[in-house]
Amino acid sequence: MSGRRIYLDNSATTPLDPRVVQAMHPCLESVFGNPSSLHREGREARECLDHARGQVAALLNADPGEIFFTASGTESDNLALTGIIEAHGGQENHLITTGIEHPGVLETCRSLERRGVDVTYLPSDSEGLIDPDELAGAFRPTTRLVSIMTANNVVGTVQPIHELARIAQDHGVPFHTDAVQAAGKIPINVQTQPIGLLSLAAHKIYGPKGVGALFVRAGIQIAPIIHGGGQERGLRSATENIAGIAGFGCAAEIARAEMSGEAARLVKLREHIIERVAVLVPNAYLIGHRHRRLPGHLCLGFAGMEGESIRLLLSLDEAGFAVSTGSACSAHRGHQPSHVLQAMGFDPLRARGSLRVTLGRFNTDADMEAFLRVLTEKVGDLRSIATYPITTTNRGV
Amino acid sequence: MSLTVKDLPGLDCGACGYRTCATLAEQLPSAPELLKRCIYYSDKQRLVTPALAAKPPAPAACGACAAALAPEGADLWQDSLGREFDFYLDHFPVEPGPREIILPHNPIITREMNVQPGDTLIGRPLGMSCGCPITHCGVAMQVDHRTGVIVWCVTGPLRPRQEGFKDLGYYIAEGYEGLVRKRRCELKIGMRYFFQPTMCMLQWRHSGLINYLNRTPEALQIRIEGLWIG
Repeated sequence: MSGRRIYLDNSATTPLDPRVVQAMHPCLESVFGNPSSLHREGREARECLDHARGQVAALLNADPGEIFFTASGTESDNLALTGIIEAHGGQENHLITTGIEHPGVLETCRSLERRGVDVTYLPSDSEGLIDPDELAGAFRPTTRLVSIMTANNVVGTVQPIHELARIAQDHGVPFHTDAVQAAGKIPINVQTQPIGLLSLAAHKIYGPKGVGALFVRAGIQIAPIIHGGGQERGLRSATENIAGIAGFGCAAEIARAEMSGEAARLVKLREHIIERVAVLVPNAYLIGHRHRRLPGHLCLGFAGMEGESIRLLLSLDEAGFAVSTGSACSAHRGHQPSHVLQAMGFDPLRARGSLRVTLGRFNTDADMEAFLRVLTEKVGDLRSIATYPITTTNRGV
Repeated sequence: MSLTVKDLPGLDCGACGYRTCATLAEQLPSAPELLKRCIYYSDKQRLVTPALAAKPPAPAACGACAAALAPEGADLWQDSLGREFDFYLDHFPVEPGPREIILPHNPIITREMNVQPGDTLIGRPLGMSCGCPITHCGVAMQVDHRTGVIVWCVTGPLRPRQEGFKDLGYYIAEGYEGLVRKRRCELKIGMRYFFQPTMCMLQWRHSGLINYLNRTPEALQIRIEGLWIG
């Protein structure tokens, strides 16, 4: 094996695009000022901040004044949920979300539940879709927010977000969507979609880690959860991470400019893998919706080997391929089945067995061929030692 | 169904695999199934998924038997990480898989879940040295509700998928019992050895102390405890 690594875990994080590095560079050297300062150094930093805000806003067709920078997608989720509830003070509050959300939403919901907020968790179907009728039936007079992710991080399924947001709008309730996986990969237009709040993260679109953003539609009442000097128009205090934000802006601009061609290219690679895996790997199956999925997102299961997906991951890693067995945020929870797959109706055993392969900007046709070759080999190796064949004659019990 | 570019959303997003809606529209007369790829057009249509997305068929069997791993003639005395070991540990031929003596991390659950011989169980052996990363599945052979200790035979995921199961969560592997047909040194009670369980998914060597040894015409029957991976 050569030393070359092939990175196929782009839903966990993406490498920095060299153009992003270039955009960040001045902010790591000469543009060091505090954007709240009145002197030239401060003004230069403020210009970088405002420029990046415009770039991120353009990705969503939002007004720059509706973009608030944070330190991560998870922080954006926390701010959206907790901020909306906080804005309603000590009233009786109800929130609607789904069982397949990222922990950034789910754990925030659990925290809010401990503070007396009622939370409804909508079920998902076996392909990871939320039924709009289920949402329509979940509203109460005390419902303050609906939070449903645009695309799922584990299985890649894209929700009918326009329809879901419209239902929330019809009930007069703000709609938040965690678009960390979707933004920059599929079109999002807050001018035509009735989305009230939307979470973003730079590192999913070839930007730096440690930077996120929350879109808050003008007029929505939301309270801060981090208090201090009043940066980000009072919603998110803390001196801004100018270099990271500049990188985020550049990454957003590249994603917007290249989205169409890149999505088409990734879909072709994805479809090629799906077609070849169906031929080369017996009993492989696709998890999530066949078509309503992110362009570069594959979630595969291998019938009869679900409990051994970690072994497959380790084998592929050893062979030079980085994939995951679920979301990176839960990789350390070795014992826990995927909450997403469980919510989709998978039993605990199968819920431990997905192999997530997520393609990105720097993957090539040659990478796919190499991956298919090694995947076929490794699955074959595992099948030869996976299980003692159980028959009625040797069961022995 | 006859669709033109005007029927498509006009986002030119590429998520269908074509750069523009116009290009997709050009393909539709000869390949109407491509319309399923347009996630915006299909928002209100739950399209039927083709074979690959369907529920997987249950395999007739999950891989070859252990015999394939215990090479005849040219024995391999190194594990998958290149570390040497002293013998292969096979399972009893009348049993469905390797026999392990295990203890759930919370032994009371043996009683609380009313584990009985014949039950199908799953769990992960956390705490066995570095901790095996593989979720194990098996069938209970003996159960001690007083101590929580379970003797089970490890099978594979096929059985729990077919028959349902009880989830032990984490457990400790306390001992193995099995047959030694291939070894490259004499084995003695009270000695610690490196060995290779033939059905180990990772093909990592283990080590342990032999505290029962019986010579049979077929092979050496042993029980080995104080287990470590590596």
